[in-house]
Amino acid sequence: MTVIPSKLSKWLVVAAFLLPSFIGFLLFVLIPMFATIGLAFTDYSGGFTAEWIGLKNFQIAFSSPEFINALINTVKFTVVTVVAQIILGFVFAVLLNRKMFGRNFFRAVIFLPVVLSMVAISLVFMIILHPDKGPVNNFLISLGLGRVPWLTSPATALLTIVLVTIWQSFGYYMVLFLSGLQSINPELYEAADIDGANKWKQLLHITIPMLSPTTFFCIIMAIINSFKVFDPVFVMTGGQLGGGPAGSTTVLVFDIFQNAFAHYRMGYASAESVILLAFVLAVTIIQYRGQQKWVTYE
Amino acid sequence: MLERVLRAVQPLRLKALITPAAIYAVLGITALLILLPLLLMISAAFKNEMEIFSYPVKLIPEHLYLENFKQLLQSFPIYTLNSFKVTLIITLVQVITSTTGAYAFTKLQWKGRDLLFMLYIATIMIPQQVMIIPQFIIVRNLGLYDSHLALILLGSFTAFGTFLVKQYFMTIPDSLIEAARIDGANDFIIFFRIMMPLAKPVIAAQVIFSFRFFWNDFFTPMIYITNEKLKTIPLGMSDFITQYTVYYGPQMAGCLISVIPVIVLFLIAQKYFVQGIAAGGVKG
Repeated sequence: MTVIPSKLSKWLVVAAFLLPSFIGFLLFVLIPMFATIGLAFTDYSGGFTAEWIGLKNFQIAFSSPEFINALINTVKFTVVTVVAQIILGFVFAVLLNRKMFGRNFFRAVIFLPVVLSMVAISLVFMIILHPDKGPVNNFLISLGLGRVPWLTSPATALLTIVLVTIWQSFGYYMVLFLSGLQSINPELYEAADIDGANKWKQLLHITIPMLSPTTFFCIIMAIINSFKVFDPVFVMTGGQLGGGPAGSTTVLVFDIFQNAFAHYRMGYASAESVILLAFVLAVTIIQYRGQQKWVTYE
Repeated sequence: MLERVLRAVQPLRLKALITPAAIYAVLGITALLILLPLLLMISAAFKNEMEIFSYPVKLIPEHLYLENFKQLLQSFPIYTLNSFKVTLIITLVQVITSTTGAYAFTKLQWKGRDLLFMLYIATIMIPQQVMIIPQFIIVRNLGLYDSHLALILLGSFTAFGTFLVKQYFMTIPDSLIEAARIDGANDFIIFFRIMMPLAKPVIAAQVIFSFRFFWNDFFTPMIYITNEKLKTIPLGMSDFITQYTVYYGPQMAGCLISVIPVIVLFLIAQKYFVQGIAAGGVKG
């Protein structure tokens, strides 16, 4: 048996185990990430050449109403969905944490939409929320209320997508909160009972603080996921053409996609991507800093 | 007892909030809000175009209309096959990359290990659309545009999966590994004979997450697949939107086909879903 120098053989072993994930990582994540940053400074339009144009793309972006619109839509979308998902996830986790009849059934039902295809969900809601023929508007009319334009009006389209997104995913956050709740030391509650604290005091002074690491994680995940939202926007208000009525549902990621694959302004789309990335980074860093103030670790 | 304490301490309206009846009402309404759209989808799949929008809504159609499914016969069998093929292969590849990567990050010591892992994790934050343009260029230059291989390669790396498995591997005591090394086992033997058998729960969670994600993946196939014979189910669901109208019946039938496998998976493997999510989220 040939003797391989031990250092080399050690590195060969590391390489052997690291290679499978590293190839994908390098080729399809790391390199593209830096390439996007590089492309952002060019006028690349899908061909084989690109010219360096410095910060021009960024200048165009910040002075372009479409981009600002997409940015605002993304922020609106993110704020509402994150707040709603965290609150709903938390509330239902608390409700379904105690022993009760049907607990597993409700947990399963609430989590169910998470596993389904967002495309399928979007298509179903397009029927349900059809402004003229859909059951929801028919129901509202039967109550004497007016019909809601849902996806067809700039005033309500984004909200509709928000609602569908929340419908699909708050179960995910419920599960996260449930596991967080279950990891809280029950002795804390026993001690509180002995001290005579009622359920609400316990919620406020034990549950919420002890849950803060989980809450922190959920908020970050929710923000990141909101910035990524694409499927419902494309299916419900996009296609290859517009971004919803009067562009009211165009979110950043959708604008990037449109510019890249419909208009072939790939350099510009890359610049938008860089801006999006900067946003996500900034938000995450802010959260991380804020964590020290309000997250209690044991 | 609880009622007495609360009656004494809290104003009436707060008490009303948390009676069992109120809680069940909230849960019941929520369950209804979730199940109704799904039931509507199922029933619409068996109705003709006129019936779908009839109001009041008849959840159970008068006659089971199978024409919608007949319309799918031309293309959906291929789509389904493609979806299974691509999803299962990617899932397998992800299990391989995440377990081997996790082993390298936990049981092997090497320079730059922690730095590289942080880099892996950081990529979780990046929306895929941000990388899509260079990815597209790379795929095109490799000659893989409009191929399943492109989808597989793009899906091979999973930062989250590697993280999940790594967390789990860290709970396997080093002493076990040391003992094996003393007995003369090399890392490959340790990996296959010790780590993998012990890792069944996290691998199960990984399989489930991967399957769910890629079965439902719409964005990546939309970018790279144009050949009818290679399309996956998510792409097929938009088949019935033409220039003039939308054929809702066949569309709902397609959606139904799309959701059945994941629902089955969910019902069988519920606890692995929960485990996987919890493992990723709870500080450990």
